Amino acid sequence: MDCRDLTALAAARLAGEAGETERRELSAHLATCESCRAEMARTESVWTALGEDADAPVTPEFRRRTLALLEEEMLRSRVRAFRPRTRFARPLAQAAALAAAGSLGWLLARGAGPVPSAANARPAAASTAAARPAASASRSGISPVAAVTAPTDLGTNPRLSNIAYEPPGADGKVAVAFDVTTRRTVSGRPEEPEVANLLAYLVSHNAETAGEKSRAIQLVSEHYGAGLAAPSPEIVAALTNTLKKDANPGVRKKAADALASLTMTPEIRAAFLDSLRSDKNPAVRLVAVDALAAAAKQSPDASTIESLRAKAVDPQENGFVRAKAASALKAISF
Amino acid sequence: MTELEDAGLLERVRRGDTDGAAELFERYAPSLLRFCDRMLSDRASAEEVTQEVFVKVISRAHQYDGRAGVASWLFAIAANACRDRRRRDRRANVVPLDGIAEPRAKGEGIESTLVHAERRRAVREALAELSEEQREALVLARYHGMPYAEIASTLGISVGAVKTRIFRAVETLKARFSEGERSWTAAT
Repeated sequence: MDCRDLTALAAARLAGEAGETERRELSAHLATCESCRAEMARTESVWTALGEDADAPVTPEFRRRTLALLEEEMLRSRVRAFRPRTRFARPLAQAAALAAAGSLGWLLARGAGPVPSAANARPAAASTAAARPAASASRSGISPVAAVTAPTDLGTNPRLSNIAYEPPGADGKVAVAFDVTTRRTVSGRPEEPEVANLLAYLVSHNAETAGEKSRAIQLVSEHYGAGLAAPSPEIVAALTNTLKKDANPGVRKKAADALASLTMTPEIRAAFLDSLRSDKNPAVRLVAVDALAAAAKQSPDASTIESLRAKAVDPQENGFVRAKAASALKAISF
Repeated sequence: MTELEDAGLLERVRRGDTDGAAELFERYAPSLLRFCDRMLSDRASAEEVTQEVFVKVISRAHQYDGRAGVASWLFAIAANACRDRRRRDRRANVVPLDGIAEPRAKGEGIESTLVHAERRRAVREALAELSEEQREALVLARYHGMPYAEIASTLGISVGAVKTRIFRAVETLKARFSEGERSWTAAT
């Protein structure tokens, strides 16, 4: 064995990858080579030091969120399996849907008594997603007209959510109810009300995962940060609300970063003071310290200085936050 | 759990069995989350990417061909997802701050918490200094006890390349810890 092979062999031994022969060669070499013994000790110490890094645990909240997401994805994947398989299925489905709608319109216009079964007119390829016949619709209180809504075009792979299944009734027919979401594009300048309201809505309501929410906040930050455009009160409210209430610390920090990029207002200051006082995550509190300190340098205010002072001497506070608050105070002239 | 049982679990996911997906999550979420956490150095991003991995598994379960083990296949998806996330974060100039978001253990004093956080941060910084390729190989070997052949299959490289990456990673870490030996010793 050559001294140059020491690190590779030592790592292989520590990783349980060294074979019997290699282990024997290594031991024999170490017995006679002092510098390699020192290198072996250093390699072992690195391997041990890496063990200082604690494992990230799966928290109950992460488990709950992920399992809910997976359940929804499983439902979506099941529905996707009903997609028409042949190139003839889609035109047939469309023709059948038109025929059903036409027949129904004709019967309604004539004031005919019983509404024909939607199932009779539904396309074969979309049979599993078709509506229940009129009798069932009446039973569930849905108007017959609503029950025979034109079938969804599954060929476009729409996103289906809020899915509910009904088992077969006396007629042997099942029902699958769902919401269909469609993609829309809203374009305009960030300060235009329609765009601003949409962004505020995305931040505060409509993100399914922490990643989507973070991206919405990032978008807001890019548009309104550094004074590029004045954020609407709805956007400021959405961000302060996220900073205050979101369960995910990464999202809260993202909201704090976005707020820090905006011009300081009394609402934003109040949100940061609240966050500095009560946010459980030190990374979020650090952003609050930075933002409050930057604003206080321009225009010192009593509540900011008092909060920073309290943090600088709080023995229960994270050391980094404590140090940051102390150095921020030094930089403020008051 | 054997490889055969893992494959059976994946088959259940492919058939749309929600309980199968939940079992797969219980089985692999802890290790995938740990892997993503070490690759991204940010807990929140690691959780998001781990979620993405399981969503991808559901949509790609039918693509699993059994050539690699299920664990290798899952870690390969996770490694790719982490690379994508890091690329995106680099573009957005995101700086992870997870090193200071150390949760405090019950009954642990502030000084002890800070020392522990400091040690963890030193390891994280050292890992972050490695190239992405070196870190992937080292993390799989050191923290997941994965054999070199399986790492090779997961990362789509040769066993020789795995050995080289781990060798270089250990050399870099030795140099790093030698430079900061005093502060490391003080922290430990």
